[in-house]
Amino acid sequence: MAIHISSSPFLMARAPRTNTRRQFHVGASGSGGEPKVMIRKETSGWKIDFSGEKPATPLLDTVNYPIHMKNLSSQDLEQLAAELRADIVYSVSKTGGHLSASLGVVELTVALHHVFNTPEDKIIWDVGHQAYPHKILTGRRSRMHTIRQTSGLAGFPKRDESIYDAFGAGHSSTSISAGLGMAVARDLLGKKNHVISVIGDGAMTAGQAYEAMNNSGYLDSNLIVVLNDNKQVSLPTATLDGPAKPVGALSKALTQLQSSNKFRKLREAAKGITKHMGGPTHEVAAKVDEYARGMISASGSSLFEELGLYYIGPVDGHNLDDLVTIFQKVRSMPAPGPVLIHIVTEKGKGYPPAEAAPDKMHGVVKFDPTNGKQFKSKSPTLAYTQYFAESLIKEAEADSKIVAIHAAMGGGTGLNYFQKKFPDRCFDVGIAEQHAVTFAAGMAAEGLKPFCAIYSSFLQRGYDQVVHDVDLQKLPVRFALDRAGLVGADGPTHCGAFDITYMACLPNMIVMAPSDEAELMHMIATAAAIDDRPSCFRFPRGNGVGVDLPHENKGTPLEIGKGRIMIEGYRVAILGYGSIVQTCLKAADSLKAHDIFVTVADARFCKPLDAELIKRLVHEHEILITVEEGSVGGFGSHVAHFLSLNGLLDGNIKLRSMVLPDRYIDHGSPQDQIEEAGLSSRHIAATVLSLLGRPKEALRYK
Amino acid sequence: MSAVLPGSNIGGALHPCPELSTTRIGGGDRPSRLLPWRRRQPRLPKLISSAFKTKAAVGEGGLLEEKKGSFYELLGISEEGSLEEIKKAYKKMARKYHPDVSPPDRAEEHTRRFIEVQEAYETLSDPSRRALYDRRLARGLHFAFSTRTGFDEELEERSLWKNRWNDQVAELKRRSMSKDSEENLSWGARMRRKRAESSIE
Repeated sequence: MAIHISSSPFLMARAPRTNTRRQFHVGASGSGGEPKVMIRKETSGWKIDFSGEKPATPLLDTVNYPIHMKNLSSQDLEQLAAELRADIVYSVSKTGGHLSASLGVVELTVALHHVFNTPEDKIIWDVGHQAYPHKILTGRRSRMHTIRQTSGLAGFPKRDESIYDAFGAGHSSTSISAGLGMAVARDLLGKKNHVISVIGDGAMTAGQAYEAMNNSGYLDSNLIVVLNDNKQVSLPTATLDGPAKPVGALSKALTQLQSSNKFRKLREAAKGITKHMGGPTHEVAAKVDEYARGMISASGSSLFEELGLYYIGPVDGHNLDDLVTIFQKVRSMPAPGPVLIHIVTEKGKGYPPAEAAPDKMHGVVKFDPTNGKQFKSKSPTLAYTQYFAESLIKEAEADSKIVAIHAAMGGGTGLNYFQKKFPDRCFDVGIAEQHAVTFAAGMAAEGLKPFCAIYSSFLQRGYDQVVHDVDLQKLPVRFALDRAGLVGADGPTHCGAFDITYMACLPNMIVMAPSDEAELMHMIATAAAIDDRPSCFRFPRGNGVGVDLPHENKGTPLEIGKGRIMIEGYRVAILGYGSIVQTCLKAADSLKAHDIFVTVADARFCKPLDAELIKRLVHEHEILITVEEGSVGGFGSHVAHFLSLNGLLDGNIKLRSMVLPDRYIDHGSPQDQIEEAGLSSRHIAATVLSLLGRPKEALRYK
Repeated sequence: MSAVLPGSNIGGALHPCPELSTTRIGGGDRPSRLLPWRRRQPRLPKLISSAFKTKAAVGEGGLLEEKKGSFYELLGISEEGSLEEIKKAYKKMARKYHPDVSPPDRAEEHTRRFIEVQEAYETLSDPSRRALYDRRLARGLHFAFSTRTGFDEELEERSLWKNRWNDQVAELKRRSMSKDSEENLSWGARMRRKRAESSIE
């Protein structure tokens, strides 16, 4: 593959590269000779003009793969970083996605690819939404406009997508573990490549990171861990009032690595001595100073040293020279063992609207690059998350024992609103789901009413705690499972397919799912009222349907184990669980045109099942279809099991269960994903038709 | 009064810090190479409005004693103070020291205090500025704090970091030379030795 060096006459370099680095312009002109988008270097740094147009990126245009970066000079690399920034802002402004995490690691990405030889060397990005610059530099620049869309690039690293993506990461804190595994494999197979794991300070709040570091220290295999510290120890990176204060003692430790209290105390003491004695003791004071500095910078990093990693840092994560120097030196060492390089970056660096925004523009929809304003579409209804937050606040106002717990997802779970109202009753434990669950169990054991709001896919991490600490002991912890079912652009890593299965198989758990936002509010009230056993309810990503809300957003507890019939029909009954009931209603509506009038029921509860309702449906209909947006083993399985145990399958009923298929559904728009999964209203109606013996109509169903 | 500041080296060995050629100390008479804590004369630059303790010392005259003053002490809160505490303390002090409500004979002193309280609040209520301030406080530089020198301070801090990690990398290199000697029984060392042996053959 020939390397195309841009020799366009429009490329203007106004200053010789050797001495003055003051004014260095990179521009490309159109036909008129006027530079369009300028990326220029000034004494204080690179300035990029973010206009709405595609930025001119002459150097980035020559880089398709990391190998094209090998011969770039230091100045070239800086220019490349600036161009990469401009490209990312432009690209994400058109597609939406994660912005500021990528901006913070531009220099790191450039340095890593320049120094190391991917794909032989492995770079593992923890929580890959920072991997946009990595994707651009590894042959996917031309497809960046498809990111997070159906059949486009994934928003996270994906092994299937490219050989440069060493490990898929969507849940955080896994990169060191994976990196260690790759390092050990390399050693056993006699290979010589390097393994680099990048992890953030937020991800460090998870236990798995320590498990991995502990093991790395013990095994002593060569491994480079880059700790990307941008002081954003909570996600999304803000409360309603502004940047979140770092959670927990860990971030303090990291801050201390930069400032060191002990050092300061020593200084204060030295000051005191100096004052009293004056004169030549100043020399002594200075020596103490030096000593202290040397001592403290070694022991200040004792957190990592204790675990067996050699600590280097802190390093300015936006200084390419520094990064390249360090990486080159470490790379050239024969036996460094596990090394931790602590770099300090700023999230959203280089794009002023992101730097200034309270949540640093972590996740954005399409926006205007000149000012960072997002094009948020207006919707008549709010997101389920918001209804959840409002309703929980109302419950908490009535009952002072209600508390809320989340794992670093204040914005995503809506609990930022709760936190604002009840700052002492909202607990953010950092990215630590296991701890969150047992923490809630402890609270419940002593009489509080904890609501654990954790995404369906993230609760997977704390599953043993749910079983052993909560369910086995029958403690009344309430789980609010947001992002249940398919989640759209985030893809399979965030897909909440399994929660019905893993919750409903637990003996003491009450499992319910609302079909609309009013039901959600009632279920929150129900959960608050269930005080003798654990309970959970799931709701999807997306907005409500527009039903009337209960007065003042305060729900009333439902009767446990009782569903409801939405539409009365005959011959065919569709029993839906959760928000998919709305899809069932749509299917029922479209079947009227074919002269078919189906019964639609909302099960509400998967555990305990509404036995009466199900028996009635079986006795009064010929066909029973259960529908849920969950994997096999969930609601449909429970209904089938119930029917078989009660001898109801021995008769005349035709039973079909519609569930998510037994494979991972790729990222895409929600509609595309539902189509792919076979759970759209069209599919439901077609199923009915084919069961009624009208297969031709089923096939032709629009 | 001579403000004797920590780490100062009057006539002693050079403090291991890179030189900075800024004129943030006082007026622009000559490019001063002295770092702020190495000042010998108590020049009170106009920039340093937050050094309330030195002003207080000079104003009241007499006592040579420096009052150690950080923004936290000024506001009367602990260094771990939350935003709420900072706001409350600020409001309380602002009400007390506002020039409009101060008795005429204490007006000047109160106004000075008010300005100091104002700056303290502005710094501590902004998380990033507060973080910067905390770092400098830890290194004993808080009394020279001023937002206008923020950029230079950052530069200086970064260069301190550079020295430190250069040392660390050198130490690692040294260690790694002897890391795989026979005494090291770790799994990684054993694998590296095996690989080294097999590549020699």
